[in-house]
Amino acid sequence: MSEFALLTLLIGALGLIALGIGGLVLSRNLFRIVLALSLAEAGANLLLVLVGFRRDAVAPIIESGQALTAIMVDPIPQAMVLTAIVIGVGVQALALSLAIRAYAAYGTLDMSVMRRRMEADIDAAAGAQPATSLHAPAGGRPLPPISAPRLAHDKGAQA
Amino acid sequence: MNTSLIALVVALPLLAAFLLPLVPSVLRRLVGPLALLAVAALGMVLWQASLSEPLVLTLGGFRPPLGIVFYVDGVAALFVLTVALVTLLLWPWGGDASENLDRKQSLTLVLAAACTGLAVSGDLFNVYVFYELAAVASYGLAAGSRTAAAQVATFRYVILGSLGSLLALIGITLIYFRTGTLNLAHLADLAPQTLHDPLGLAAFFLILLGLGVKAELFLVNTWAPEVYATAEARVSALLAGLVSKLALLVVVRLLVLVFPLPEAREALLLLGMLGMISGEFAAYRARDIKRMLAWSSIGQLGAAFIAFSIPGPLGLAAGLAIALHHLLVKPALFLLAERWGGGLARLAGAARRSPLGAALFVLFALSLIGVPPLPGFWAKYLLLSGLAAQPDNLYLLAGLVVLVTTVVEAVYLFRVIGVMYGREGATPANEQLDNTQPASALAGSGVFAALLLAAALAAPLLAAPLGRMATQMSDGAAYVARVLPSTATLSGAAQ
Repeated sequence: MSEFALLTLLIGALGLIALGIGGLVLSRNLFRIVLALSLAEAGANLLLVLVGFRRDAVAPIIESGQALTAIMVDPIPQAMVLTAIVIGVGVQALALSLAIRAYAAYGTLDMSVMRRRMEADIDAAAGAQPATSLHAPAGGRPLPPISAPRLAHDKGAQA
Repeated sequence: MNTSLIALVVALPLLAAFLLPLVPSVLRRLVGPLALLAVAALGMVLWQASLSEPLVLTLGGFRPPLGIVFYVDGVAALFVLTVALVTLLLWPWGGDASENLDRKQSLTLVLAAACTGLAVSGDLFNVYVFYELAAVASYGLAAGSRTAAAQVATFRYVILGSLGSLLALIGITLIYFRTGTLNLAHLADLAPQTLHDPLGLAAFFLILLGLGVKAELFLVNTWAPEVYATAEARVSALLAGLVSKLALLVVVRLLVLVFPLPEAREALLLLGMLGMISGEFAAYRARDIKRMLAWSSIGQLGAAFIAFSIPGPLGLAAGLAIALHHLLVKPALFLLAERWGGGLARLAGAARRSPLGAALFVLFALSLIGVPPLPGFWAKYLLLSGLAAQPDNLYLLAGLVVLVTTVVEAVYLFRVIGVMYGREGATPANEQLDNTQPASALAGSGVFAALLLAAALAAPLLAAPLGRMATQMSDGAAYVARVLPSTATLSGAAQ
C-alpha cells in the first residue's frame, strides 16, 4: 500500500469520526442520531485497524508448516476491532428499539420535542411545577413581555 | 493463597447471570444472592491478603505484557467486596412478573460482574470491554421501568454512553499507537519516554471524557438527572452508587500509573470543581427529590475528582474516603426517596406518616453535609486538609469551592427536612398520599445506616487501612515490579 493510500485512509477515518460526532451533536431526528453514531464508530474502527498496519505484511494467520519469517500485521488491533464492532452493533440495535418505543409513546422522532415531553412527564409524575415556562415563571414573578409569534410557536411545538 | 481464585470474582456473577434462566424455578431466586455472597466472601479474603501485598493473576499462563492480568491491591479488593454487598442490598427480590424478574436479576448480575472486572483489570482493553458490559447492563436496567419518559431518558443515555465509549476507544487506540501495548504495568514502564507529550495527554483526556460519562464528570453528565428521575430507585442507586465509582477508579489508576503529570491533575481538578459547582447549585434549584439527589450525586463526584487530583497518597486517601462515603449514602437516599418520589410540596408532613424513613433521611443528609461525628465529616476533612497542603493557588480555590458548595448542600437538604417535619402545607390531599416506605427499602437503607454509624464509631480504626490502601495504590513502581518482574529487560527491549 502506498504512502498516499495510507494517508487517505487515515484522513478518511478521522473524517468519519468528525462527521459522526458532528451529526450526533447537530441532528434532532432519532434515527439520524443512531446513524451518526454508527458513522463515528466505523471511523474509530478504521483508525484502530490502521494502527496495526505494517508495510508489506501478510495477514496474521499461521498455516501449518509455514515458516514464521514473514512480517505480519499486528493482530491485537484486529481482535479489538472485532470486539468493538460486535459491541457497536448490539448497542445500535438497543438504541433503535428504544427509539421505536419512544416513537410509539410520543408520536414524534424529533429529539427536542421528545425531550420537552419527557421533562413535562417527569414533572407531572413528581407533582412539581415545570422548571421554566413562559406561562408561569418560577417564584411567581410577573410574566415577561412575550411577542405573540413566539408564544404561538411554543404552543405549536407542544401540540 | 491460590491466586486463581481471583478469576472467580468476575466469572461467578457472569455465570450466574447466564445460567439463571435455566435453573429450575424453585431455586432460581437463590442463584443471584448465592453468587454475590460468594463474591463478597472472596472479596473479604482477598482484602485481608492484599493489604500486605498485592496479588497478581496471569490468565491462561500467558505472561504479561502479552497475557491478560488481574491485579488485586487493597483498593481493588475493597471494591470487589463493596460491589457484592451493595448489589446484594439493592437486589430485585420480587414484586414483578417472573419473566421480568429473571431479566432484571440477570442484568444486575452482569452489572456486578462488569464492576468487579473494572476493579481488578490490569489492561486497557479489558477495561474497555468491562466498561461496555457495565454500560449495556445499565441501559437495560434503566429502561426497565417501562414508562415513556424512561424510554426517552434511556435513549439519550445510550447515545451519550456510546459517544463516551467511542472517545475512550479512540484514546486507547492512540495509546496503543504510541506504545504497542495495553498492559497497564507495561504502559507505566514505557510512559515517560512515549506518552508524556501532547498526543499522550490527548489520549488521557479522551479516556477521561469517555469514562467520565459513567463517572458523572462535568460536561458529559446530562443523562444523570433524567435517568435517575425515571428509572426505579434501585437502579438509580446502583448507577449513582456503584458504577460511577468504578469508572472513577479506572481513571485514577490511569492517572497514578501512566499519566502522573500536572496537566492531567489540573484537568481533573478543573472538571471536578465545575462539576461540584454546577451539581450543587442545580440541586438547589431542583424541585423534586429524585432530581435533587441526582444533581447532588454529580456534585459529590466532583468532590471525588477534586480529591483524586491532589498528588500523592494524601489525595488518594481523601478521594477513597469521599467515594466510599458517597457509595454508602446515595443508594440509601434513593431507596428512601422511592415512595416520596415527588415534588417537595408532596413531602409536607411525611415525617409524621413515615417517622423511621424521615429519621434515616436526616441521618444521611447530615453525613452528606459533613456534620462531625459522621463519616462524611472525615471525608471532607481529609479533602480540605489535602487541598490546604498544596502550594498551588488552584487547590486553594478548590478548597473554597468545597466550602461554598457545602453551604449550598446544607441549605437544600435542610429545606427538605424542614418541609418533612414542618406543619405548613400538610393539605388533606397530602394526607391521602402513601408516604410510607416499603419494608424492603426501609431494611436496605437501615443496613446502610448501620454501616454508616459503624464507620462513624470506628473512624480511628479505619484510618490505618485507608492510609495503607492509598499508599499501596500510589506506588506505581511497585505495581510495575509486581506485574512485570523482569521489567529491566522489557524496557531495554522497547528502546
